[in-house]
Amino acid sequence: MPEANLQARAVSKRYGTQRVLDQLDLSLSPGQTVCLLGPNGAGKTTLLRVLAGLLRPTAGEIRLDGAPLDFTHSAARRQFGLVMHQTYLYEQLSGPENLRFYANLYQVDLSEGSLQALLRRVGLNPTRPTPVRAYSRGMKQRLTIARALLPSPRILLLDEPYTGLDMQGCQLLNELLQQERAQGRIILATTHELSYVLQVATHFAVLARGRIAELFPNDELSLDALQSRYQQLAQPVKAEARP
Amino acid sequence: MLSKNKLLDILTILTVVLFFGVFAMVLFYAPIEVNMGLVQKVFYFHMASAWIGMLAFLVAAVAGVLYLVRRNPRSDYLGASSVEIGLVFTAVANFSGMIWAKPIWNTWWTWDPRLTTMTIMAFTYIAYLLLRRAMDDPARRAQFGAIYAIVGFATVPLTFFSSRLMRTIHPTIFGSGETDMAMNAPMYQTMAAAVVMFTLLFAVILWHRVRLMAARQHLAGLQAARDEAFDGGGQHA
Amino acid sequence: MKNSLKTIRVLVWKDLVQEWRSKDMLTAMFSFAVLSLFIFNYAMELDPASRADLAAGIIWVVIVFAGTLGLNRSFTAEQDQGAFDALMMAVPDLSLIYFAKFITNFLVMVFLTLLVIPIYSLLYNQALFAPALGLVLLLGAWGYSAAGTLIASMTVQTRMRDLLLPILLFPLLMPVNMAVVKAASAVLAGVALADVSGWLNLLVVYNVIMTTISIMVFAYVIQE
Repeated sequence: MPEANLQARAVSKRYGTQRVLDQLDLSLSPGQTVCLLGPNGAGKTTLLRVLAGLLRPTAGEIRLDGAPLDFTHSAARRQFGLVMHQTYLYEQLSGPENLRFYANLYQVDLSEGSLQALLRRVGLNPTRPTPVRAYSRGMKQRLTIARALLPSPRILLLDEPYTGLDMQGCQLLNELLQQERAQGRIILATTHELSYVLQVATHFAVLARGRIAELFPNDELSLDALQSRYQQLAQPVKAEARP
Repeated sequence: MLSKNKLLDILTILTVVLFFGVFAMVLFYAPIEVNMGLVQKVFYFHMASAWIGMLAFLVAAVAGVLYLVRRNPRSDYLGASSVEIGLVFTAVANFSGMIWAKPIWNTWWTWDPRLTTMTIMAFTYIAYLLLRRAMDDPARRAQFGAIYAIVGFATVPLTFFSSRLMRTIHPTIFGSGETDMAMNAPMYQTMAAAVVMFTLLFAVILWHRVRLMAARQHLAGLQAARDEAFDGGGQHA
Repeated sequence: MKNSLKTIRVLVWKDLVQEWRSKDMLTAMFSFAVLSLFIFNYAMELDPASRADLAAGIIWVVIVFAGTLGLNRSFTAEQDQGAFDALMMAVPDLSLIYFAKFITNFLVMVFLTLLVIPIYSLLYNQALFAPALGLVLLLGAWGYSAAGTLIASMTVQTRMRDLLLPILLFPLLMPVNMAVVKAASAVLAGVALADVSGWLNLLVVYNVIMTTISIMVFAYVIQE
């Protein structure tokens, strides 16, 4: 398995006059599962989209394996698995049909057996023919996770992946992430479900004021310790500025 | 860039002078046309305005290409300004055309190729401006504007040829054979002067408009930076 | 090359299945077209001869307006479920996405035309069976879909969405409108195809230019 190294170098992103990301540096290595923390609106989703090559940064660059990530060719993008707020699913197609559709686009050979195995891996019934329109939010979430895994991506970018998942689903996702990490994947996830992510994260990164305030390892942190560390990093200046 | 620009000031004054100069030419130097009478004098402004309407669209399309290639915001300002100004000149061309047409052909509107094409071009301009208004992110707004300007400009010659294939009652000025409007040397000279003056007018207004846009953006940037500093670098919306 | 064709085929299949299973757009277009034809009847209480001259024009106008319903819908699935991102991640050449959408929209236009013609024929008791007419309308559908797909891909990403599509699209379609109506009228009146070659050539030129430009700029439309 080749070493994959994903780097953001001095990445800035402005929307008009609003600076969302400001000279941000971040380096991710294989086998790391990094949890990105930050207040609402801090730019976590923006950062994920820039890393995936979907959003062009105003300044700075993304490097994959030492070479700049070419924004125009998605051959490199096939190495990414994305789970975002939107489901990326086609409502009139069934679960298996959605997966076969994306498998065809990715040019991945999806045999009936692998399809069923993949669906079982995310806890979905492999034989269900109902259209996605009839799925619950949690089921859609499981399906889109399966969709992200189709090209066996080296890099997983997950934006609030626990959304809609019940307790069983959350545990299943954790198992999945641990399996992927064992295979040497790079995983970056944003979430507010601190109790769940504590079980799988190797590192935590706090995004505040457009940059990574700190990247620290998960050394047997308790939930309280993590929360206080996060509060500290995310809001210090505001607390002092008010008299 | 934002300080007073000497060249622009000189050109502005020159334009004003030329405007009055050409106006005088039209009134006193150019003779009264044999067939159409005094109202024909509208033609000089009408034709010059129409020419500028076309030129403005070309500028917008070129600015669009430049923006897609280099992503320089100034290209976007240039394109948007050009469309705004071009729309005004096209409206002037249409109205002056109508003023001219009514006494001569006894109709306000004629479905003739040039008029039709200019009007459709005006609708394209308006669509461009509406498209920009419907977009919040400045970078995407510029991108979409550029694309629409390019596509819109590409359809103009096609629209012209289609409408020409349909019918013509627009007076032919330069052609041989039937000429509805008898032109002599002083009239050609006045026409040329009008075109030159209008082109300069367009360039000067365009330059002013682009500077205004750039200044506005700059101001907005300063305001945002000030707000951020005051907030202590707090949450972004 | 083989991969590109397969990608296009997969994308078109997905769009067709999506629409076939919901049938929202198809029923809306069909209703709109038939109702429009009814309305035209009250607008034009003419003798059959005059009405026959107008047939081509009315048919094309109905198709143009009903077609916007289809165009508006063609990208909503991608926009609402965010699938633009997913397609960008999976498809190397973004112009393939345009091409597939174009084909889908073209097929929808053809379907619409095949509905409108017999219904018009029925309501107004006018024989419209002429293969040459089919050719003219096909060329028109090509131009309409080429421009419409590009514009729809933009307007779906704006605040005004559906409202903006006709405003942006119709000025660009003027050459097509003129050519189709003139050529179709002539053909229905019995003129030979060779005699309307001017209009047909214009249509082909427009179609090629519009399709080419659209393919070239499409990447800029869906990429941020």
